[in-house]
Amino acid sequence: MNPLLKVEGLTVRFGGLTAVDDASLAIAPGQIRGLIGPNGAGKTTLFNAISGLAPIAAGSLHLSGVDVTSFSAPQRAAQGIRRTFQTVQLVQSLTVYENLLFGLHSVARDPFTAFVVGGHAQRTNVDADRILAEVLEYLGMSDLQDRVVETLTIADQRYVEIGRALVARPKLLMLDEPTAGLSPAQLERLDDLIAKLPADWDVSILLVEHVIPLVVKLCDRITVLDRGRVIAEGTGSEIENDPVVQKAYLGERLDA
Amino acid sequence: MEFAFLLSVGVSNGCLYGLVGLGLVLVYNAQGIPNFAHGEFFMATAFAAYVANVLLGIPYALSVLIAIAFGGALGVVVEFLAIRPISTNRALGRASTEVAVVLSTVGLMITIKGLARIPWGDSVRKLPGAFSTDTITIGSLIISTQRLLIIVVAVALTVCLSIFFARTSLGKKMRATSQNTTGAKLIGINTGHIYSATWGLAAICGGIAGILAAPIIFLHPDMGTRMLLKGFAAACLGGFGSVSGVFVGGLLMGIVEIFFGRYLSTSMMDIFAPIIIIVVLLFRPQGLFGTRGAARV
Amino acid sequence: MLSILRNNVLTLFFIIVLAISFTTDAYSQYLINLMLVYVVVAQGLNLILGFAGMFAFAHGAFMAIGAYVSALLMNTLGVPYLIALPMAGLAAAFVGCVIGIPAIRVSGLYLAMVTIGVSEIVQWVLRHWKPVTGGTDGMLVASPTFFGVEFSDDFQSFYVIFVVCALMTVLAQFVIRSRLGRAFVAIREGEIAAQSSGINVARTKVFAFAISAFYAGIGGSLFSLTQHYINPENFNLYQTIMQFCMVIVGGSASLIGPFIGAVILTWLPELLRNAQAFQEIGFGLLLIVFVIFMPRGLAGLLISRNILPRERFSRAARLRKKPEASTSVVVERP
Repeated sequence: MNPLLKVEGLTVRFGGLTAVDDASLAIAPGQIRGLIGPNGAGKTTLFNAISGLAPIAAGSLHLSGVDVTSFSAPQRAAQGIRRTFQTVQLVQSLTVYENLLFGLHSVARDPFTAFVVGGHAQRTNVDADRILAEVLEYLGMSDLQDRVVETLTIADQRYVEIGRALVARPKLLMLDEPTAGLSPAQLERLDDLIAKLPADWDVSILLVEHVIPLVVKLCDRITVLDRGRVIAEGTGSEIENDPVVQKAYLGERLDA
Repeated sequence: MEFAFLLSVGVSNGCLYGLVGLGLVLVYNAQGIPNFAHGEFFMATAFAAYVANVLLGIPYALSVLIAIAFGGALGVVVEFLAIRPISTNRALGRASTEVAVVLSTVGLMITIKGLARIPWGDSVRKLPGAFSTDTITIGSLIISTQRLLIIVVAVALTVCLSIFFARTSLGKKMRATSQNTTGAKLIGINTGHIYSATWGLAAICGGIAGILAAPIIFLHPDMGTRMLLKGFAAACLGGFGSVSGVFVGGLLMGIVEIFFGRYLSTSMMDIFAPIIIIVVLLFRPQGLFGTRGAARV
Repeated sequence: MLSILRNNVLTLFFIIVLAISFTTDAYSQYLINLMLVYVVVAQGLNLILGFAGMFAFAHGAFMAIGAYVSALLMNTLGVPYLIALPMAGLAAAFVGCVIGIPAIRVSGLYLAMVTIGVSEIVQWVLRHWKPVTGGTDGMLVASPTFFGVEFSDDFQSFYVIFVVCALMTVLAQFVIRSRLGRAFVAIREGEIAAQSSGINVARTKVFAFAISAFYAGIGGSLFSLTQHYINPENFNLYQTIMQFCMVIVGGSASLIGPFIGAVILTWLPELLRNAQAFQEIGFGLLLIVFVIFMPRGLAGLLISRNILPRERFSRAARLRKKPEASTSVVVERP
């Protein structure tokens, strides 16, 4: 089966510092892929490089066979790469509904707005309201749709961010530490949601997470990054028992 | 000899632009904003010297000191009243705060200008020069003593400020605050005091330029705004970075401007500064000497 | 009943202005015209400053371009106003694009300096290109003619200005509630998140420049109708600062804000007439006081008190079923 996302030899440099060094990974359609590593391993930089926010010095990036290496961030978003952020990046003064609408930018109604704000022009007459209602319903947030985002809890804001990505029907959904700042109960609810997403939305997921047990439980495969390099890849139990990984995490408890 | 004369005019003008630009750079580095009220420090201090010396009859040297003190105090006061309440307002986002602070400096700019216009808007006035002899002759070159003074003071001030930032505790604290505000707070620097000092110092730089320029150009409430653009141009050329960079930027600006005006077109001299600003910011935002990225991170 | 008024404040505004116009003297009529002109200009500035969060300092210059282009087209080529007016807007929008395309390369507040430079250069051109602009002497503006009727006095030009102002308001509302308006807000709140949602930040910024300049150009052309005579002084830095004041006092990032700002601040300089010093102090202090104490302006205050509805950024919301009536319920007294 062809991978949905194929990253080959990806390198990101900031001045003299090589933040991501020759990283390769392939994500199959419908897969949940975990990305872990000690602090400063380059997880966020790799994430940014895939979503187009960090410059790629070498290597290539293919999404469903299309070479998107030279694409800008909005172009990659239009191709179906969507993400969330470690610190929630929503427009706090707007409602949930309006924030979800941001996700629909690359499915523009007409060539003119498509030209200005970016994205496809061919998908015309998208019924925004119907799509949004569907996503809100799925996330259990229909009754919150007219609430202003700044009045919501952090957990709900994270759902809105996921919703903003989902409305565009992405091929790859990238979640950057979605559990940060959540209570155990909220965390469990989010777990269940992430686990269902690939089947319900026909999407692959790339998940950066600090909570290792969660990653092991959720992910089909896990990639371990250390000092910018991929040091291991495998299923949860393979990773847990990998001596190289344990060495990289020396001082950090895997079962924390 | 015309060349030497023009050069002396260009260099002394350039020194003034450098001094004005210096104040802009100080505030820009501390708070990341262009201070549109800066030209008014230039104007207000010049008028303060005028009031002290001409209207009240205070001796020249003492008038100058009073005016400089007034200029510095004005800088501290406007920062405290019109800038600090905004920059400490957490309700606004970062981008909105910056826009609000700039708008506030714009408000200050026309308020101060308006205040000066009430007594002095009707006609132009003149502050006498620092020396009783207007010119001295060096060989066959006749040079104005005031212009000579401008050059000497500007060079001295630039050197002093470089030493101030490199050696003194306050100077180091100011640099630390401009590089990393949160970090500066964490190591116990009172950033509020630093901003007061920055604005005071910036206003003094602009003010000294005002006092020096006043005998050459006429005093008028609008004199600050034109100088503001020249100061911006000097600061852009210098890359909004080092003290000496701005000074060299100002010099360059003054010299090129005077020759441009003399040999190409006098009327074009008025838009020389905006053209420099646009060309430099668009094509070389790090300035002529800088290598750093343009954006303040 | 109250909620109908609350949701249609702008319609009410236009009805009231129209009603008043039947009862005014020439001077009040002139001020009403000027106020509507400023509504148009302030709306344009609000789009870029309030909604897109970009600090542009060249709106006096964009206004000048609009005023001079339409005046020149009518005076020298005899172009009818119906064509000269949109040309004025497009000329300003074109210049806005020319500035905007390179200006997006400089980040944030460098933009303020680039645009103030542009505004100085436009001033200089107006003063020195005497054969075309008349230099500091300025130029007379021909009265527009519609279907053979000359609209020369303030009562007649009111209808032109009124209609254009209403159309520009409808356009502004359309923009704000469209994808484009949301893109403006998105880049204001964070360019990184905007990009990741598929928004082309660079093009959105250029377009914000262009559409905002279009408003200023149209406003400038209408302004020339109210004055019958234009000169570079009309469009100096002070003009731009007055517009800042209107947007900030009225309420930035709000459709109603520019109306409140223009209504209040068109009358203020008239009260302080012929006293430039007091006008400057008045505008300067207003600007400072509002950015410190009420950064969202009067509209923001009214919205937070629930007197005005909050700004909406989608059209679809109206079609949806109301979630539930926590909104105002008017109780009929028996």
